[in-house]
Amino acid sequence: MGVELKNIHFSYGRVKALNRITLALDEGAIGLLGPNGAGKTTLLKIMLGFLKPDQGDGQVLGYDLRKEQKFIRQLVGYMPEDECFIPGMDSVTFTAYMGELSGMPRQEAIKRAHEVLFYVGLGESRYRLVDTYSAGMKQRLKLAQALVHDPKLLFLDEPTANLDPGGRQEILELIGEIATVRGISVLICSHILADIESICDKVVIINKGEIAAVGRLEDLRMINYRLYELKIKGELENFRSNLEKAGCRVEETEDRIVKIYTPPDFNHLEIFRLAARNKLQVRQFVRSQSSLEDLFAKVVGVD
Amino acid sequence: MATIREKGYHHWEGQLLEKGRAFWPITRTGIKLAFQRKYFKFIFSGAFLPAVVYAAGIYISERLEDFKFMAQGAERTLQVDPGFFKSYLSLDFLFFMIILLMALGGAGLISDDFRHKAVQLYFARPITKLDYILGKAGVVVFFVGMLTLIPGLILLIIKLLFSGSFKFFLQYPWLIVSIIFYSILLMVFFTSFVLLLSSLSKNRRYVGVVIFALYILSDIAQGIIYVIFRSPYSALFSIKSNLKQVAAGFFMDKLPYAYPWYLSLIVLLVFCFLSYVVIKRKVRGVEVIR
Amino acid sequence: MRAVIEARDLSRWYGNVLGISEVTLEIQPGITALLGPNGAGKSTFMKIITGQLKPNIGEAMIYGERVWNNRRIFRQLGFCPEADAFYEELTGFEFLTGLLSLYGFRQSECRERAEHVLKVVELYDVRHRQVRSYSRGMRQRIKVAQAIAHDPEILILDEPLSGLDPLSKRRVIKLIKEFKAHGKTIVVSSHVLPEVEAMTSEIVLIHQGKILARGDIYFIRELIDTHPHMIRIKSPAFRELARILAPEDYILNISFNQEDQSVIFETHHRDRFFNRLNDLVLESDLKVDEITSPDDNLQAIFDYLVGK
Repeated sequence: MGVELKNIHFSYGRVKALNRITLALDEGAIGLLGPNGAGKTTLLKIMLGFLKPDQGDGQVLGYDLRKEQKFIRQLVGYMPEDECFIPGMDSVTFTAYMGELSGMPRQEAIKRAHEVLFYVGLGESRYRLVDTYSAGMKQRLKLAQALVHDPKLLFLDEPTANLDPGGRQEILELIGEIATVRGISVLICSHILADIESICDKVVIINKGEIAAVGRLEDLRMINYRLYELKIKGELENFRSNLEKAGCRVEETEDRIVKIYTPPDFNHLEIFRLAARNKLQVRQFVRSQSSLEDLFAKVVGVD
Repeated sequence: MATIREKGYHHWEGQLLEKGRAFWPITRTGIKLAFQRKYFKFIFSGAFLPAVVYAAGIYISERLEDFKFMAQGAERTLQVDPGFFKSYLSLDFLFFMIILLMALGGAGLISDDFRHKAVQLYFARPITKLDYILGKAGVVVFFVGMLTLIPGLILLIIKLLFSGSFKFFLQYPWLIVSIIFYSILLMVFFTSFVLLLSSLSKNRRYVGVVIFALYILSDIAQGIIYVIFRSPYSALFSIKSNLKQVAAGFFMDKLPYAYPWYLSLIVLLVFCFLSYVVIKRKVRGVEVIR
Repeated sequence: MRAVIEARDLSRWYGNVLGISEVTLEIQPGITALLGPNGAGKSTFMKIITGQLKPNIGEAMIYGERVWNNRRIFRQLGFCPEADAFYEELTGFEFLTGLLSLYGFRQSECRERAEHVLKVVELYDVRHRQVRSYSRGMRQRIKVAQAIAHDPEILILDEPLSGLDPLSKRRVIKLIKEFKAHGKTIVVSSHVLPEVEAMTSEIVLIHQGKILARGDIYFIRELIDTHPHMIRIKSPAFRELARILAPEDYILNISFNQEDQSVIFETHHRDRFFNRLNDLVLESDLKVDEITSPDDNLQAIFDYLVGK
């Protein structure tokens, strides 16, 4: 069920922000990408029911975008990008408060707040004032308040912004886990492509107010069977000339990866044979896929 | 048979409330946060002092014989009539305490939400702008009501109790209505005043100072304008004077200023209306995600 | 070769709070990444080597001269801070020309340089708009612009990619690599490890005010020999592969991933393992689709050293 948008148009005055957006998203984790100013936030606002589209309709979780915004917001959890909290409260009070505002009865909200805080890893510190939390903890708190009312759709806006590498890892693990829970769709807006690659199976790329690409990540990237990336131990030179004689093109990149472009009928075992012959150890062997970054660049049409 | 609760995320099997009573948690939370402010409890208790004094006054006036030694001229001044109630509800000291309390505990009602960007958290939920504003208003209504309506009614009850008869009540049957309506006016006015200023800034301390300063300055403004124009209408510039003028009107007492009291009422109500318009706009502006 | 930036026994604290302690470091030309958890001391270190902060103990030197209070050196330094610090009413153009004039350039040269660098960061079209109206990504780019406008030899960049969309990130990374190619010295601090890996393999890891590790990522990985290496092999015959290798004494641990059709081996002896593996690939009919080292990346090194 998820989200269905048909032919959405939206303008801020004379500036057209969204044009002919048609989209259908289901369960699972979906990445929302696009250059700054492409219309991502406008799209998010429309899906959350803050803005009414000029044209077109749609529904989120079965509720109409224009007429049933209140119901949409009952079922959606939003984790904003900015740091946001209410000072002077501890995290249980805060989370329960948010739950109550979503319509949960008070006792339920409190019970659920404890549960959710343990889930995001704030169990030990849940009675402390949120003012004293570190950046990583505040981020988890944002996630907790988005989950307290058990939403069916979770919007995460730059969930790993401002976190140090340890914190990023932890949040990504949490989100990855939530993304696999049945009954929850997760929509992630992020500029960090590595995050999207690690969690999402589908992406939507928006550019200049229109959908530039949508689909499963694997389908969108071209799987190029003819490029292999290797890491080897040993001297490259002779190996390289052997390969080139066999019709391949060999490149060495900065981080010491050897890229081998092979001709169509090339048996990759040859690579191992030639390596053995040159007394090289093959320590990494991957059939290359173009990265999300290349896809993004291609789709957004620059470079 | 044993079951194990699995690790990981669990769905919530509960039901969401259908009836939107979203403003109540907001009010409750606002009141709690106000009490957390330093000195707030102290000042709040202090603000009940007039109520205690007036209650004692009623007691003394009923038992005048026992207090004959204090009685020189007391009979005249301790007359418990509608003017007595009016004097409590429009006491300078009471207004001052209300302003102080609000500067401390009410200044951050909306400004803190702007500053810490909590507004987007509120509006991602199924609450309307009205719910939010009413919820915040409830906090001011609570504190002002506790200091005006409740003591006002209690003083009336004390009077009835101590005088032992309904004579007083029958003499002035409209008194209870006056108490209620005047208190409501105070609640609405102070709510508008505080929420307006709170919605105009992100800085709670700044708002607190302005709440206090504006109240004082409005009196000074009256003074200056009076000096220049020598007109009784200069009172229309002062918050305190307007409130006192309306109080006199509601309680059928002698008007402190020489113009019809409903003019002051109109000034106050227009202010409330304009505040509401501004507050609505200000909250809308930040409602959205960046 | 003489190090460009040299830190000797640097220590700095703020009252009771520790900034950095006994940091001794040499930074050569090229790109060096400065990593560490929040509060580790990265900003303190950067402030000291850019001359904004005086160390309590020790010295920071650039080109052999002390940095503190040394105006000649500042000319050679470009700093892109993490925080937003702007004069909002100025336009992008005014901001840059203003800063450039502080370096002593003539008016006309200030203008030329400003225009050039604005083109490089692609803010040329909006140069006459006030900084106040710039979006997050644009503010980031103008920060980068002011760091490079005077063509410094040394660039210190604190989280230069934050707030930028993927294409802008690519452009900035490309720019940084170009600087490296011109022989400049660049120190970059970032939290997003995959992005750091795309730029360089020289890292300095700071934790709790001290240097935890320094050098090439792979070299460091080798050094962490107490921690066995993980090697993941994807193959339709993954269990068979495990069966064959299990008896070997250099295999410490084997785990399977059914969904993925892969097996992960943990070993202390990569040499012996890979020799055997390479032989197996060629001798048997076991088809091997992929060989990767899941923990041979910066995140894993970071987690291990910072002690998760």
